[in-house]
Amino acid sequence: MNTIHVNINNIEIPTTADKTILDVCREHKIDIPTMCHLKGLSDVGACRLCIVEIEGMNKLQSACTTKVADHMIIQTNTDRIKKYRRITTELFFAERNHVCSVCVANGKCELQNLGYQVEMDHVRYPFLFPQCEVDTSHPWYVMDHNRCIMCTRCVRVCQEVEGAHNWDVMNRGHAVRIISDFNTPWGESTTCTSCGKCLHACPTGAIWPKAIVQGQLEKKPEIIEELIEKRKMHDGF
Amino acid sequence: MNNTLSTTDPRTKLISSKLKKEAYKADALIEVLHTAQNIYGYLPIPVLAYISKSLHLPPSRVYATVSFYHFFSLKPKGEHTCLVCTGTACYVKGAQQILEKIEQVFHLKPGETSKDNKLGIQVARCVGACGLAPVVVLDDEVQGNIVSEEFTQTMKEKMGLL
Ligand code: SF4
Ligand code: FES
Repeated sequence: MNTIHVNINNIEIPTTADKTILDVCREHKIDIPTMCHLKGLSDVGACRLCIVEIEGMNKLQSACTTKVADHMIIQTNTDRIKKYRRITTELFFAERNHVCSVCVANGKCELQNLGYQVEMDHVRYPFLFPQCEVDTSHPWYVMDHNRCIMCTRCVRVCQEVEGAHNWDVMNRGHAVRIISDFNTPWGESTTCTSCGKCLHACPTGAIWPKAIVQGQLEKKPEIIEELIEKRKMHDGF
Repeated sequence: MNNTLSTTDPRTKLISSKLKKEAYKADALIEVLHTAQNIYGYLPIPVLAYISKSLHLPPSRVYATVSFYHFFSLKPKGEHTCLVCTGTACYVKGAQQILEKIEQVFHLKPGETSKDNKLGIQVARCVGACGLAPVVVLDDEVQGNIVSEEFTQTMKEKMGLL
């Protein structure tokens, strides 16, 4: 593929047109916070954290779903972007019931880290305190909707990597929830293979294995990409 | 849960012929759901299970689709339906008070149906009769300029409770 040139934060970078802005930034260690993106899964551009400014475009674009083009001039960390990232982060926290101090993911949570990263010292929006269920019906895992940020990484990993498609999203607006099967308790799902991939894909403490306590959660989101790579390897035989 | 449909139920035949007509194509899901809702009045889970199997779609994808569109209903709609418009004009003219009054009198919130299946309450965004705001559609009949106190009486009359 032909080499093209993009300019990111005033640095000229040679690359190819099949990549997204996020790909290029990650390759060159340019930091862009993301939440719904997980390497190996399709991108949906849902969380809006990876927004960047592209010269000649008024609207901010999501880096994970926008492909690079020749002579594109991109800014990833302007005051405008920082302002919106902070707002988005605060809205995540205001939307459900996140209590880090008692969470299994405390200290290892992507949402918590994001809060530090954007220097969120308080939330300017009223907390919604929605009534959320905690589904403990599965013999090994728990799904706590209080901590879900609707990134749909679990939905995509289940559909695209495991191929089970246990998860999906019901309703809309504030009423959206992750569901298994026909809004069936997880333990009664007929499609779940109990593989545990969703647990590793989830950025927060929303999905976790039973029998662990506060701060003990160990997630390996990178195994998703490794799995895909290994499969490709076997396909070659 | 019993997720199988009776093969002698004529409604099952109607659905299976619709599925056949659509050649069991996954992208006919919404069409098939429309048909099913017309037949049953709502979408019972065993019917969704049947459709999901026939179209080779994951159950959660079918449920996601049903719950996304307000047109589809997972609960029986009730013998009498009362649809309160909450579009901008009706909202300003007091749709909320109407809903509160209905809740007071019938103990039903939007989306709920009474235990005896007599009355179902729904809301919709703008039914296109803003000049008559606030508007309620009672059993497919548009009622305009509603005064909530009098209206619950009208509802009772319609339902044969008075
Ligand atoms: S459960 Fe976790 S992975 Fe799934 S949508 Fe919620 S936050 Fe994302
Ligand atoms: S990572 Fe790009 S929108 Fe979420």
